[in-house]
Amino acid sequence: MQDVLVGASAVTKDFHVGKITVNALRGLDLDIHKGDFLAIVGPSGSGKTTLLNLIGALDTATGGKVEVFGQDLSGMSRRERAELRLRSLGFVFQAYNLVPVLTALENVEFVLELRGEDGGRRATAMSVLEDLGLGELADRRPNEMSGGQQQRVAVARAVAAKPRLVLADEPTANLDSENGESLLKMMRQLRDEHDMTFVFSTHDPLVVAYASRVVTIRDGKIVSDIRKNSGEEAPGEGVEVRRKGTEPPGDGTEVN
Amino acid sequence: MSTPIIAKFAVRTLGRNVRRTLLSVVGIGIGVAIAVFMTAFMRGSTQMRVRAIAESGFGHVKVVPAEWERSRDNDLRLVDWEAELAVVRATRGVKAAAPHARSTALLGFGTRVAGVEVLGVDPVAEAETSRLVRAVVEGRYLKDGDRDVAVVGRTVTDRLEVELDDDLLLTVVSKGGEMEYAMLRIVGIIETGSRDMDASICHVMLEDVERLTGRAGAGDISITLDDPLRMDTAVSRLRAVVSPEDDVLTWMVVVPAQGGDYKSDKGFMNILAGTVLVVVILGIAGAQLTAVLERRREFAVLIALGMKASQVVRLILLEAVVMAVMGAGVGLLFVWFPLHQTATKGIDFSTMMGGDLAMSGVLFDPIMYSVPGLWVLPYAFIIAFVSTLIAAIYPAVFALRTDPTSALSLREA
Repeated sequence: MQDVLVGASAVTKDFHVGKITVNALRGLDLDIHKGDFLAIVGPSGSGKTTLLNLIGALDTATGGKVEVFGQDLSGMSRRERAELRLRSLGFVFQAYNLVPVLTALENVEFVLELRGEDGGRRATAMSVLEDLGLGELADRRPNEMSGGQQQRVAVARAVAAKPRLVLADEPTANLDSENGESLLKMMRQLRDEHDMTFVFSTHDPLVVAYASRVVTIRDGKIVSDIRKNSGEEAPGEGVEVRRKGTEPPGDGTEVN
Repeated sequence: MSTPIIAKFAVRTLGRNVRRTLLSVVGIGIGVAIAVFMTAFMRGSTQMRVRAIAESGFGHVKVVPAEWERSRDNDLRLVDWEAELAVVRATRGVKAAAPHARSTALLGFGTRVAGVEVLGVDPVAEAETSRLVRAVVEGRYLKDGDRDVAVVGRTVTDRLEVELDDDLLLTVVSKGGEMEYAMLRIVGIIETGSRDMDASICHVMLEDVERLTGRAGAGDISITLDDPLRMDTAVSRLRAVVSPEDDVLTWMVVVPAQGGDYKSDKGFMNILAGTVLVVVILGIAGAQLTAVLERRREFAVLIALGMKASQVVRLILLEAVVMAVMGAGVGLLFVWFPLHQTATKGIDFSTMMGGDLAMSGVLFDPIMYSVPGLWVLPYAFIIAFVSTLIAAIYPAVFALRTDPTSALSLREA
């Protein structure tokens, strides 16, 4: 049995919008294992981002239990959760969200600085960029880079501190297919070479194609959890993949 | 050692919206300039007031009979004034000391009379302490060896219709309750610029007052200090050496009207400077808050990445500190010219004072100067830092409240 990094059991999450209570997650159970390249799919409003928020210690569950690396998040203070994110988690966002006034190198270095690393910080950041083939972008600010380049730098930022788990929210949503695929290859390489685990919230069939495991959420519950034989399949292998807008309804592996 | 990224982040962030940053810096600069100018002017005004009081015969501090503070009786006398004068003059921090003996009297010439407070003086000591000595416009001031002579104010001579070398009839009530008379020759006329003040001036020799009133000795010793700012220390030292039956009072107690004016002026200036700073602080806080609101997604991302509350606050305060440095520089630039002008040329208040330069027996200078100095530099930076950091507190708290979950959604933070 693989190591369980994240364990979610009977997790519920309610939001109050005025007088209305929205049940975003309704008793969800999920284990994420070391080495997973996991895509969470489902229609808009199904609870994908909410689940990612809980796993990422950005939010707390209304009910049930979320354990990350064996630590129950419900008992952690805001500061402890921040510490957990800083030390053990990496984040990649849909809109890249690099700090616009910092260069690519500084964006990566900043995370190391936040962790309190002193000597060799810059060298480490540069080495991460170079390992990912981004060395030539080091001195460029976000507005001097393409979307694909920005997202690759965002990945570099997320993995610079060698987190055990990287959470990516729609990482390819703003990229064309070529850039999206290049990004996914980069992340899968990171998983393979650095023993990292990746969890994606996505609508993109390409991500699903690259995933080693696909979890589908609908109405706050998991409706399917498909693990492929290995995470090395070529896109389209082991799962039916359709681009946005062409997906058939009602399929456990559908991608919306 | 390389510059921390957080510092680069803070500095470059200010360049994102140059117009807003410049407006904030100018706002801080105006606040700093006003605070520096008002403080420099208040210092000048206070120095001028204290000097005017001291040189109008009150001294910075005064040795008086212990009873005097309560009764204000001019007939009271010091226990051993000559011994006290000697120890006072020998006390560290004392610049000059002048003994006085006062008595209420009537001056008469022909059918005309005028009520005055006769002041018995030691002319040599008086020349060291009183600006009235320098206000003699006709004749001369008193000198050692004089007897039965007086120096009077211009208003007195006008009322009595007398002139230099005329003999005035002085009438006082002696210690035994009897009327005593003396003829005093006018040897000098004083013109202070204040008719009210001139109406009460009648300086005679200390010995003449002793003889006429039958009360030996001086009623007070007016003391000017090397450093008026260390008045409290001087009072403590002097109290330790004077007779227990006498007391040492500051000018604020001796001239309570001036003490009150000083406190109210200082309070008013502080309130005014404080109000300006509050307005500036609110302006900066508004600009900072807008900047934080615009960057809520950015803060959400940073918090999601693990940025701690203390690091978020440090980032915002660093931005504030950079603005404070620029604001202090701009403020010093703004204030340089008015400060230079008022320090060298002053502001002439004679028109505003209606030609009367005296209040509560104190003869003021009509021109007030600001007193700048090297203190202006740290003061400007402290004002800028404190006000900017205060202004940054609420935006920082606001940034801390950013919901990090908004980093993972397209919803607004």
